[in-house]
Amino acid sequence: MTMHTTTPTGVWRLQLGSATLLLHRRTWLMTLLMLCLLLLMFVLSVSLGSGNMGVREVIATLTGNGSKLQEIMLYKIRLPRVAGVIVAGLAMGMAGCLIQTLVRNRLATPDMVGVNEGASLAVIVFAIYLTLGAWPWWASPLGAGLAAAALFVLCRRPGEQGYLFIVIGIAISELFNALGEFAMSTQPLSHLTSIYFWTMGHFAHASYQAINPIVLILLLLCPLMAMINRPLALLRFGDATARSLGVNVTPVQLGILGLAILIASLGTAIGGPVVFIAMAAPILASWLARDNLAPIWLAALCGAVLLLGSDILVRVLAQPNEIPTGIMTRILGGFLLLFLLIKDRQWSD
Amino acid sequence: MTVLHARNLQFGYHEKGVLHDISFTLPKGKLVGIVGPNGSGKSTLLKLLAGQLPLQQGEVDIHGQPLGSFTTKALARQLAFLPQRPVMADGIRVEQLVQYGRHPHQGWFSQWSDEDARQVERARELMQLGPIWQRIASSLSGGQAQRAWLGMILAQNTDLILLDEPTSALDIGLQTEVMESIRQITGKNRTVLLVIHDLGMAARYCDELIALDAGRIAAMGPAREVITKDLVDRLYSTSVDILAAPGDGAPVIVPRRRPLPTVTASGAS
Repeated sequence: MTMHTTTPTGVWRLQLGSATLLLHRRTWLMTLLMLCLLLLMFVLSVSLGSGNMGVREVIATLTGNGSKLQEIMLYKIRLPRVAGVIVAGLAMGMAGCLIQTLVRNRLATPDMVGVNEGASLAVIVFAIYLTLGAWPWWASPLGAGLAAAALFVLCRRPGEQGYLFIVIGIAISELFNALGEFAMSTQPLSHLTSIYFWTMGHFAHASYQAINPIVLILLLLCPLMAMINRPLALLRFGDATARSLGVNVTPVQLGILGLAILIASLGTAIGGPVVFIAMAAPILASWLARDNLAPIWLAALCGAVLLLGSDILVRVLAQPNEIPTGIMTRILGGFLLLFLLIKDRQWSD
Repeated sequence: MTVLHARNLQFGYHEKGVLHDISFTLPKGKLVGIVGPNGSGKSTLLKLLAGQLPLQQGEVDIHGQPLGSFTTKALARQLAFLPQRPVMADGIRVEQLVQYGRHPHQGWFSQWSDEDARQVERARELMQLGPIWQRIASSLSGGQAQRAWLGMILAQNTDLILLDEPTSALDIGLQTEVMESIRQITGKNRTVLLVIHDLGMAARYCDELIALDAGRIAAMGPAREVITKDLVDRLYSTSVDILAAPGDGAPVIVPRRRPLPTVTASGAS
């Protein structure tokens, strides 16, 4: 029997002039599906809340047929929160996929290894002591970078020592968390309300001032992400095989780590250090895409869907009170972590 | 015609010397084995030649060009390296694994060419991967997995292939299967250098052998000339009998019994 492999199974071959691109069929179908789901959830999410503004009114306002009051309610109050949630979710899903693939471990996510805590520590310190009033979203990459530098110095080969990477990360995470809480404890309680809510993962105060520049930076990073997608997939085979297939392992790993940290810290800057999304989104994306080794775009969309879902859930359950979205993701994340660890325990039995 | 030329290689981890004064050439189209006791530097030598470890002293030329002058990707078009226990990524199919072997020949704007298809097809045929082509690679048995890895290496289409103990942890039937596959790969223009523990297998399948002892070359040459009682006794600090196999006369190495020194019970009372 001869079978001619002119095009690999399960992909679309895209010919653009002299360029040939391969698109993983299942991944792109799932991406489309997630995009539709996200759109539906978006409409649902902006239709929720006090005031008489349901799905019909929202669609009317979005298409330019709403009243002045409805426009203010939609664009000034509801949309910033929903947009903040979506952007943060996209960033966390993407960052989680990058780090999990790099370290070859599902438990390695920015929130487990101290990157988010570093980012929030920097934001807390700047917000409390240095920038009075304005929200220092831009400080987050500084703190995340500090955490990551510590992580990389203490664990030199993240591709080979995934376990060590996570354990050191947990220690760094605790340390930064404690420092942040110490910084907050030096201030009178009345100054801390918004920061305190933010550290629990809260999107009610998300503003375009932070969202717009973050979206711009994320868009600028997209070509870079597309470029590293292929070498990233090969890192799943370990350093030695990746290198023998032509990947310049150390610079690529450093680049991916840098990119992941920047993206994770930007995701943290909007609504605070939200756990679970960066871990669950890549797992969900891999499960949906099946045999794609690094489905970063799908992971980003899964992140947005999961975070928006958590936000909708928390708003519906807590109505009319405000509960930080991070509390819901923490509950869901706890269950996921337990599930993964118990599953692994069964394997090792 | 030489494919690879190593001159005066020295290598050490921290202050500890592992390789000393290693020089040899690899002739084109041969299957060459590196043998030697545990810790003699076999794997280190292979990793050094593969560009997996940085050269500390000495020179390696590939087709007359210094190893250090290749970019990682250009080197991957010259030589393929399979580590001792390669990590299989979860979830992918054998077909995808073999296709990843084409990575060094691809770019962002040329992700698939007719040449890619040809080489992948050739690897599939040669390693007889047809029946397991759509199987999940991480669920394969040891022998099948090793053939799938060899398929990937073959798709890379390099003149030189370096394999680090490709038969370790396999039973004798699978070892034979894998060694036959490796013999298949070795050809007119393709040279294979492999680290191998089993001296009998080495003598039967390899054209030439390099025997290492404590980081130095103890013997080198045609496989059946290298394997002598004297060398094996010395390298492995043991005593063996070497018999000739019926048929082709390949050396069969059988260790003699060597009772452990008796320990007197004095002081135990």
